[in-house]
Amino acid sequence: MLLDFGMMGKYMPYLFRSLQVTLQLTAASLLLGILLAIPLSLIKLSRFRAVRAVGTFYTSIFRGVPLLVQIFIVYFGLPQFGLTMDAFQAGCVTFALNSAAYISESLRGGIMAVDAGQREAAMALGISYGKTMKDIIFPQAIKSVMPSLVNEFIGLLKNTTLISTIGLVDVLRAAQMIVSDTFRAFEPLLTAAVFYYVMVMAISFLGKKLEKWVNKSDLR
Amino acid sequence: MICVEHLSKSFGKLEVLRDISLNISDGEIVAIIGPSGSGKSTLLRCINLLEKPTSGHIYVDGVDVVDPKTDIQKIRQKVGMVFQHFNLFPHMTVMQNMTYAPINVKNMAPKQAMDKAIELLERVGLADKAACYPATLSGGQKQRVAIARTLAMDPEVILFDEPTSALDPEMVKEVLTVIKSLAGTGITMALVTHEMGFAREVAHRICFLDEGRLVEDAPPQVFFSTPKSERAKQFLDKVL
Repeated sequence: MLLDFGMMGKYMPYLFRSLQVTLQLTAASLLLGILLAIPLSLIKLSRFRAVRAVGTFYTSIFRGVPLLVQIFIVYFGLPQFGLTMDAFQAGCVTFALNSAAYISESLRGGIMAVDAGQREAAMALGISYGKTMKDIIFPQAIKSVMPSLVNEFIGLLKNTTLISTIGLVDVLRAAQMIVSDTFRAFEPLLTAAVFYYVMVMAISFLGKKLEKWVNKSDLR
Repeated sequence: MICVEHLSKSFGKLEVLRDISLNISDGEIVAIIGPSGSGKSTLLRCINLLEKPTSGHIYVDGVDVVDPKTDIQKIRQKVGMVFQHFNLFPHMTVMQNMTYAPINVKNMAPKQAMDKAIELLERVGLADKAACYPATLSGGQKQRVAIARTLAMDPEVILFDEPTSALDPEMVKEVLTVIKSLAGTGITMALVTHEMGFAREVAHRICFLDEGRLVEDAPPQVFFSTPKSERAKQFLDKVL
C-alpha cells in the first residue's frame, strides 16, 4: 500500500490544536485589520492631498513588499529596537497591517460608490460627520465591500501558513512535524490541505449568507 | 427669515451665480424658476451650505451661514431640504429614515420621535408604509416620505430642489398636493421647480434666474402676465 492514512489517527488531536492557532491568528488579524482599515480609508478620502498621500503610501508599502519579508522584519528586525514579540504577536501585527492596507482600499471604493446624495441628505438634516459615516455611509458601503472582504478573509487564512517559518505551530507547521516524525510526507500534507480547503469553503459559504443579509433592504 | 446679499458662486472658471440678492420673509413661499443651468439649484444649495459661496453673505434668522464661525449644523436643523432624487437612506426603513435625525441630532426620545413620525406619515398618506424599505416604494411615495422626514425636524424653512423632476408624470400630483398642504401651515418655502402652473398657484413670489443672475422678482400674477425682461418672455413662451 502506497498510502496509509491510518497512521494519521494518533496525530489528529495535535492537528486540531494547530488548527486553533491558525483560526485564532486569522480571526485576530482580520478583526484588527478591519479596525485599522476604517480610519485608513477615511484618511484616503481626506480633503487634503498631503493626508491622502500618507494613506496611499501606506498601502503601497504593504503591496510592494512580500509578506514573508514583512514578517521577518517584524519578528527578527524590530527586536533590535527593543520591540520584541512572540511569533503569534508578530504574525498578528504583520497580517493586520497588511490586511488593513488592502481592506482600506476596497472600503475607500465602497464609500465613494455610495451616492453623493446620501451625504447631502445627512448634511441637510444636520447629522454630524461621524454619525453620517457610521450610520449612513458605512452600512451602505459595506454592501459593495462585502465580497472583497470575504476574499481578504480567505487570502489571510491561506497566508497565515507563512507564520510556520518563524516557528509558530499552525496547521502547516504541525503537518511538517508529523512528516519528520513519520517520514511520510503525502498523508500529513494532504490532511493539512483538506483542513484549509474546508475552512475556505466554510468562509465563502458564510460570506454568501452575510452578503444576502447586508443586502436585505434592497429586496422588493 | 432668509436674506441673500451679493451672492456669487463659481465652479472653477464657470460663474454659476452672479451677485444675487434676495429676501425671503417668514411664511413666504418663493418659487425659483429659470432655464436649466441658470443656477437655481446652486442658489438653493448655498442657503444650507451644501455649496460654499465664492463671495457674498446669506443670513438665516440673522446668522451668516457663510461665516466659518457659524455652527452650520444648527442652521441645517432649521432649514430642511427636499431633493430631486429623494435621497432616502436605503438601508433604513421608512420609520428609521424619519426618526434617525430627530433622535440623533435633536436628542428626541425614540418613543416621541416615532409618534411624531406616524403623525407625519399619516399627513402624507403613508402611515401603512412605516415598516417598509424605500426600495419597495414608488417615486411619488419616496418623495412624500422625504418631505415627511424633513418635517420631522420641525424646520422653519424648507428648500425644495426640483421635488417632482425625477417623478413619473402620474406621480407628480400626489407630491404637489402634499407641498401645497404645507403652504397653508405658515412654513417658509423656497422651491426650485419646472411646474409653472404650480408655482403660479402656490408661490407668493417668483424669482426668475438666467445665467446666474436674478432677472426678475415679482408676484406670480405680475410675472406670468407681464414679464419685464425679454429673457423671461422667451422662457415663458417656451414653457407655457
